[in-house]
Amino acid sequence: MELGPIFRALMHNPTRFWLITVEVALTLAIVVNCVAIILEQRELLTRPSGLDEPNLVVVTTQPFAGDFADENFLDTVREEDLRYLRAISGVRTACAMDYLPLAGGGSLTGLSAPDDESDGHPAPYFVVGLAALETLGVELVAGRDHIEADLRPGEGEPENLIVTQALADRLYPDGDALGKTVVDPDTREVFGHIIGIIREMHNAWPRSSIAGLAMLRPGPVSNERELRYMVRTEPGALDAVFNQLEPTVLAVNADRIVTVRPIEEYKRRYFDDEIVLVKVLTVLAALLIGVTSLGIIGLTSFSVTQRTREIGTRRALGATRSAVLRYFVIEIWVITGIGLALGALLTYSLNYALTHLADAPAISWPLIVGGIALLWVIGLISALAPAFRATLVPPVVTTRSV
Amino acid sequence: MFAYMIRTALLSLRRNPVLSALLVAAIALGVAVSTAFLTVHYVYSGNPIPSKSNRLFYVQMDSWNPDRPYARSRPELPPEQMTYRDMQGIMASDIPTYQSGMFVASLTIHPPEAEQRPFRERVRMCFADFFPMFEVPFLYGGGWDRGADRGPEPVVVIDAATNDRLFGGGDSVGKILRIEDRQFTVAGVLAPWRPSPRFYDTHTGASQVPEGIYMPFEFVRIFEVETAGNLLIWTDYDEVDGFEAFLASEAVWIQMWVQLDTNEQRQAYIGFLDAYVMEQKKLGRFGRPLNNRLLDVMGWLKDQEVVPEEATGMLVISLLFLLVCAVNLIGILLGKFLSRAPEVGVRRALGASRTTVFLQHIVECELVGVIGGILGLGLSALVLRLINQLLTNNGQFGLDLPMVAAGIGLSLVAGLVAGLYPAWRICRLAPAIHLKLQ
Repeated sequence: MELGPIFRALMHNPTRFWLITVEVALTLAIVVNCVAIILEQRELLTRPSGLDEPNLVVVTTQPFAGDFADENFLDTVREEDLRYLRAISGVRTACAMDYLPLAGGGSLTGLSAPDDESDGHPAPYFVVGLAALETLGVELVAGRDHIEADLRPGEGEPENLIVTQALADRLYPDGDALGKTVVDPDTREVFGHIIGIIREMHNAWPRSSIAGLAMLRPGPVSNERELRYMVRTEPGALDAVFNQLEPTVLAVNADRIVTVRPIEEYKRRYFDDEIVLVKVLTVLAALLIGVTSLGIIGLTSFSVTQRTREIGTRRALGATRSAVLRYFVIEIWVITGIGLALGALLTYSLNYALTHLADAPAISWPLIVGGIALLWVIGLISALAPAFRATLVPPVVTTRSV
Repeated sequence: MFAYMIRTALLSLRRNPVLSALLVAAIALGVAVSTAFLTVHYVYSGNPIPSKSNRLFYVQMDSWNPDRPYARSRPELPPEQMTYRDMQGIMASDIPTYQSGMFVASLTIHPPEAEQRPFRERVRMCFADFFPMFEVPFLYGGGWDRGADRGPEPVVVIDAATNDRLFGGGDSVGKILRIEDRQFTVAGVLAPWRPSPRFYDTHTGASQVPEGIYMPFEFVRIFEVETAGNLLIWTDYDEVDGFEAFLASEAVWIQMWVQLDTNEQRQAYIGFLDAYVMEQKKLGRFGRPLNNRLLDVMGWLKDQEVVPEEATGMLVISLLFLLVCAVNLIGILLGKFLSRAPEVGVRRALGASRTTVFLQHIVECELVGVIGGILGLGLSALVLRLINQLLTNNGQFGLDLPMVAAGIGLSLVAGLVAGLYPAWRICRLAPAIHLKLQ
């Protein structure tokens, strides 16, 4: 093969070799790290929450009249609101809820099994009215849903709780959580009974490591007189229903401020930074590959121009056009190959720095292999046009002086 | 001589406009990206109130659960916010020059125009000292006096945007504004004010815009309003019955800032806080060891880790991006310079020293750098505007003087990185060869 001459020619004028090597190595390091971050963030953004996200819309009402301080009045308005909301055509059902899943704000308490002496487990919870499971679109895998009697437990009676499978497994690792009691880890007082287990549901903090731990507490829901409803529409009916929601609750009582917003909008706001980061990194990685590709084109063109006489001589001595092409192709393969090998090391170094500085994800080897393959191909494509130009050099240039 | 070098460099750049445009574009791209993310990082890590950041202190006291620390991962830390009763207790001190407990509430605003529907607005509940302590600028009027804190008197301060929205701008001092079920008199209208990061309340977002309305703290009792920010409690929250019980509870939800100008003041205040906690211990509270903390503005921001990790990561990546752009230029410049080796040969033969040739080419590279840098700064402003638009809580990123200077600095460094090796190569050429060839 021609590797020997190619290598010697490279070492004869090593500038171009080093420049491409460094450039390719840096590009690999940056692009692979960008992609690793993009993939991690996308995984966070797209992991299933257990909720029927596309068909959920939230109605929040904040009263400004004094009547709402009266609990009976509040109860009446809530029942009326729900009755009218559920009656809208296109609405599957609705429930009252104090805070929102996926929105970044909510309540959290500690819980543990009675014989568990640890500090307890975090139990993010929502206080919900009836029909919460159907509204949220979460699947009950064991036990039962809340019923009317659960909403107002008698004095000293524990609450009937529905928890996610993940939380149930934390509290009772043996998988026998259903029907069991949970206690406050500090006071050891009984907090409630687990009456139902749902397969999956994200709490208010979908970015966190405890996103899958969630608990539904039954109750008459109000948060400082604020009434909030989760509305689940029939598939695809959200847009049609959307504009009817505010008038519907205002018709029940107009003395309040009403906000209507799809749950996906709350989620988008919560993941604001991540979404921007993914966009910015994608553009940056693409730009970088473009810049590097241009760099390789420039350097190879320059090299072809410089070596016009040399190419002519080879052609005159009998080298075919394809041999000339092959020479440049193999040369760029060798250079980018060495660059990418160095780049792999650099990628790990940069990743090390980024994981320490910015809590970036550790990169996996398939990602590096993928990055190497991509840049190898891009290096090759970038060098093709100038290499073709080299094949057009006529043997006759040898006979001309400068 | 320098003017001559610049003239020659310009001539050289004009000789091959396409190539020069490519050079400038590469630098511009690199500078745009790196300056944009430098700005993002700078906004997050900057000093929001440089004139007195080392005289303003965030106060923390450990009123938390005797059985377990506030944060399991950092057990040495007291709670990040304060209870109402402790805030009241230490506000009795006359040591600080200024002091204010504060929190953010969400209240219903009734616009004066009857046809406009009421809306909810974030209202900062604070004391009179808030305004002089944080050097909040006023367009009209001013804050309220300390007497109004005690009443509390129904006065509010609104920001310029709220003034435009409610009263159509202008001097609205003395106008009446209905909030919840009460009439308030506007005492002052703020000039645009955006400390970044918004240091005084890191829990509700250090990159948030300040609230639109400010009201005496004690209206908390009248409106019986809980915080719209962060509230944590270690006793049983469900057993807190009624608003007065809530105020007397162990819930932490208030931010407490004091201004201590001298070292004596600081020492006296530390002594005061210690005495306060010891007094409370006698009452059966503060079951944890004495652990008061006074952090100044920058100390508090560092403690709260307000710089998002993404911002640091992006800064590193964008600087490397600029480096790749510069490395790219090395190849192009080398080609460009070597192609005029004969010209350099003539100049060298006519007596130009290596240093002169070297400097001439460096000047050319730096010229490319500066032109690219200026274009890059323009681009960077666009990038920042785009980022601002993408962020829902209206991003605050913009170029200021230090960042423009940093952008130019980066472009000069990039020009140097790109030009050093090509300029060195060209000045090392032996003149004779190129003369012969001609």
